[in-house]
This record gives sequence, C-alpha cells and structure tokens, in this order.
Amino acid sequence: MSPTPERSHALVVLSLRGLRRSYQLGPQRIDALQGVDLEAHAGELLALTGPSGSGKSTLLNLAGLIDPPDAGEIHLDGHRVDALAEQARTLLRRDAIGFIFQGFNLVPVMTVADNVDYPLFLTGVPAAERHRRVAALLEAVGLGAHAAHRPDALSGGQRQRVAIARALIKQPRLVIADEPTASLDSQTADQVLELMRTLGHRDGAAFLIATHDDRLTRRCDRVVRLHDGRITAAAEGATT
Amino acid sequence: MIRLPTLPISPWLRFAALNTLRNRRRSLVTVAVAALGTAAILLAGGFALYTYQGLAEGSARTTGHLVLANSAQFTQDEETPLQHGLDGWTALRRQLQDDPSVRQVLPRVEFSGLIGNGDKSVVMVGVGIDPDAEFAVKGPFLTVTAGTLLDGRSRDTVMLGERLARNLKASPGSGLTLLATTAAGALNARDVTVVGLISTGIPEVDARLVYTDVLSAQQLLGSERVSSLGIFLDRMEATEPARQRLRQPLLAQAPQLAMQTWLEQAPFYRSVKDLYNRIFGALGLIIGVIVVFVVTNAMAMAIIERTREIGTLRALGTLPGQLLRSLALEGLLLGGTGALVGAVLSLTISIGLLIVPVEMPPPPGRSVGYPLQIAIDPTLYLLTLLTMTLLSTGAAALVARRTVHRPITEALAHT
Repeated sequence: MSPTPERSHALVVLSLRGLRRSYQLGPQRIDALQGVDLEAHAGELLALTGPSGSGKSTLLNLAGLIDPPDAGEIHLDGHRVDALAEQARTLLRRDAIGFIFQGFNLVPVMTVADNVDYPLFLTGVPAAERHRRVAALLEAVGLGAHAAHRPDALSGGQRQRVAIARALIKQPRLVIADEPTASLDSQTADQVLELMRTLGHRDGAAFLIATHDDRLTRRCDRVVRLHDGRITAAAEGATT
Repeated sequence: MIRLPTLPISPWLRFAALNTLRNRRRSLVTVAVAALGTAAILLAGGFALYTYQGLAEGSARTTGHLVLANSAQFTQDEETPLQHGLDGWTALRRQLQDDPSVRQVLPRVEFSGLIGNGDKSVVMVGVGIDPDAEFAVKGPFLTVTAGTLLDGRSRDTVMLGERLARNLKASPGSGLTLLATTAAGALNARDVTVVGLISTGIPEVDARLVYTDVLSAQQLLGSERVSSLGIFLDRMEATEPARQRLRQPLLAQAPQLAMQTWLEQAPFYRSVKDLYNRIFGALGLIIGVIVVFVVTNAMAMAIIERTREIGTLRALGTLPGQLLRSLALEGLLLGGTGALVGAVLSLTISIGLLIVPVEMPPPPGRSVGYPLQIAIDPTLYLLTLLTMTLLSTGAAALVARRTVHRPITEALAHT
C-alpha cells in the first residue's frame, strides 16, 4: 500500500552518509564527491542543483547503484547497499529504483507499451498483470492512445512521459532523474514535472532529481545545492 | 517499421529480431554471406558425397562387395598364373549363394600375356568371367562400342578394349591369338574370336583389356582354379555384416582363405575421398571463418551503435547474462536465417540439376564425362545448418561480452 504524502515524508527511503567518489582523468585526480550526507523521503521530490562538475551526476550514479562509492554508506529502505556485489546491485535496481534520463533513453525498436513494460518483464510479473498495469499507467500519463507507437513517432514531451511511466511502472522506492526537463520546452516541462509530482506522491517514491532548471526546483519539495563535491546549501522547495 | 507478433515468440527472441531489423542493409549483407557460405558448403559437400557414392558403387560393381580368395592372393605376387588361385571354387560359390543377402557370386580369372593378330602382338590384361551371371548382376557396366557382349554358351570368344582393338585393327568377327604362361610355367596359345568392343572410360585400361569366359581363361592357363570370387550383395550397407557372417564358417573349413571388402580393394576410392575431404574441409573452414568475421563485424557495429542503450538497459536492471543472451540471439537469427536460405538455395540447385542435367567434361585420365549431380544428405544439411548457426551465435556472444560488462556510467556516456 502506498503511504499518504504526509506520512511518506517521514519515511527515509535513501540515506547517504559520508559518500566519497573520485576519478582518475589522465594524470589528474578528480574528487567528484567529498563526503556527502543526504536523506530522501518517501513521496519527496528532492532537487540536486549546482554548476557543471559539482558532482550531481556522480551522486545520482552512486544513489542509483550504477557506480560504487570509494567510501561512505548508502542505505536504501534502511538496508545498507553500497557494498553489494554487482549482481545484487543490478537486481536491486531492477526491483526498487527507477531511472529517468535527460535524453529519454527509450528503446527505439520497442513500442511505447513495450518500453513501459520492460522493467516489469524483467521482474517476472505475469503477462496479464503487466498488460493491465501498463495500460493503466499509460492512461495516467495521457498516452493510452499511443501504446502501439514507436518512440520516434512521439514528441519530446510524450517521450519523457513514456520514460516517467517506465520508471514508475514497477512502483520503485527511489527514482533517479537526470535533467528530466532539459530537452523539453517550458510548457511541456511543466506538464512533465506535474506528472512526476502526482505519480511520485501517489506511489510514495522518493525522487532524486539533478537539474539546472529553476522551474523544476521551485516545484520540488526540497533543494540541495552541490559545489565541488560537497553540499553547500539545502532549502525547502516552494511547493512544500 | 515491421511489427512482430507479441506471442508466442519469446520476448528476448522478439527483441533480438527487432534489433536485427534496425539496419536492414547490414543485416541483409550478413544473411546473404551466411547463405552463400552455407550453400557453398552444402553444394561442395553434396558434390563430394555424390562422387563418393559413385566411386563406391563403381568399386563394388567391379570387384563385388566382398572378395573371397586365398590370403596370399591379397598379399603376395604370383610366380606363375593362378599360383594362389582358389581350388574347389564351385562348391564355395554354392555355399556363399545360400546366404540370403548374396545376390550372386562371380568367379574371376585374372591373367596377362600377349594378344596378336598374326602381324603384331601387344601386351594384354585379361579377365575371365562368367558372362551370363556377370552381366545379369552388374547390368551395362561396360559401354559396348561395337558387336555384342560375351555369351556364356560360347567358348574362345573375347571382348576387347576399343583402343586395344584399334591397335590390332580388330573388329567383331576378327580372329586373334592369346598367348600366356600356364600355371605349370609353359607357354600356351589359343585362337579366339572377337565378339565385341568395349570402353571402360579409362583410355589406359581400354588399351590392354581383354574379357573372355572363365573356362577359356582356365584352358589358356592350364588350371581349374579361379583368382577370386566376387560376392555381390543386395545393398552396400550389407557389406560388413555379410563379411562377419560369411567369413567365420569359411575360415573354419579353409583357414588359408581371406575375405576383403570392396573398400579394401579400392585404393583409388580411398585416395579420392581423402583428397576431397581435405579440399572440401579446407573450403568449409575458410567459409566458416568468413561467416564468423562477417557476423562479428556486423554485431560489433550494431553493439557499438547501441552502447548507450545497453547502458540504459543495464541501469534498468537487466543482468549482463540476459543482454548477452539477447545479443547472441541476434547472431543466431542472422546466421540461422542465412543458413536456412543457403540450404534452400542448395536444395533448389541440387534438384534443378536432376531436372536439367549438366554434363561435366571428362576428368583427367578418363575418356567420358559424367553428369553433375549433388547429393542431398540430411545429415550434411543438419550439421552445416547447426554449425553455421552456432558459429554466428558464438561470434555475436564473443563480441557482446565486453560491452555488456562495461561500466554502466561509461556506456551511458557513450556518444
């Protein structure tokens, strides 16, 4: 059962403690994250802002379990997950984490319905149940009539709505969104943001959103500013 | 865009099929190369098999599926004609003919000497046969170019190889003289009449060959022995079981006897088969390598183009093994489709050659051509299809292995 927005804010979905990550770029060592502590709550839209190179994408990669940290701890729903083996991390991503990419990253040879269905297919949900859930979610994002279309037949905003549906179809605990509105015009971006907010609150998923978009940060529950791999400021968003 | 049915195809197979349609020209080239490679292997292999069958049947028809003789006949040279010949061969012949798989047992007297027309004598290689039985069981194994076949009731008649006849200016009805050393070591001569001229298709053989009946040959050699008994069975596959069955009782009563199969009597067949196996084996290997390279290249390009997508699918929770399987399935589809198309092509050509015969020119050492035919062997087809499909699948998996294990962040950053 999905928690109510009021209650879900109290549930810590993601907890990052002392997270560090550095990269070797030729002879140069880049400290992308230098001890980040952060929590994201159920149903919360948490915006990560900061200039390019501040560590937003690195933080998303670590929180989304697609890259391991050098040091620090990652807790998902109270379970420590930073030291998991590759396969366990993959399965945890499959079951509990949704991804929304700046470039949509839909699979072009799959239909809209197949793209949304893919995460459910991976988790082994029976076909009839998958079809029902996919149809319902596509209706919810206003793409019921486009289920059989290919992504290249859709507009940018429609594609991002497909990507949001794909991220949310498995009712994840955490959604990682990297610049989800960067490729969209302002009107479409507003629609997409509203959709994320509605569905996120409905399903009780925590959204971790990296963005430069002020319109987006204004609609988020909380805004965290990163600079040189450190959190420099945190503020409640306009909608909270 | 082509729509594939949602069911009952496995989702991974459907995904793989859709992926092969992304770049249709590249996939078409890959399928075409696999198809041509498969067709080439099947046609070459079918030609080799047809050749083996023809040579095997020819060998068995010449000597018999089994040959019974004294063991020394197979291992030693004779000092005098029929030195190692069979005594009491008529009883042996009757005994062998009692076996249900034996169609006929043909006596054979091999000899050499001179044949002359009064003005000129040339070396001959003679064979004494039981004409009625021989022609009844073998059918028209010789091409009669003039006159008739030998008659079992006539004596002192011969058939000559046509080049020998030309050398002696002989034709049907001509009188000639056979001169040979007898079993006792004396010289003997017999006047014979030519009844027919024949061609074996091998000019060197036709320049020496003389056929006569067994009794005339025995009288020429002064012996009642025969060189060997050729045992003709109802089918090629019965050879080894028949040998096992017939040999034991014969060896028990006459330990000096030995029985060889047509294969042991056919060094030409063995050498041709060995040569063809090497040639067509190398051809198959080269074609296999080409197909692997083409599939590898096509898959490598497809995978590089889809690196970002592979990263996305990995981020969504797809296991590397699942992606590897999906990409290997693409190789399977490309190679398998190519192999199937190649098999159909080969089958069409093979059947077409039966409907519209194509005559090949005579091979070296032969004076007559032969029909070009391709054997349709289910085992060859099955093995070739399986090998091509497995090679393509393996090549695709090999190429995909590195990319599916690449760090997701790197794959997502790929442009």
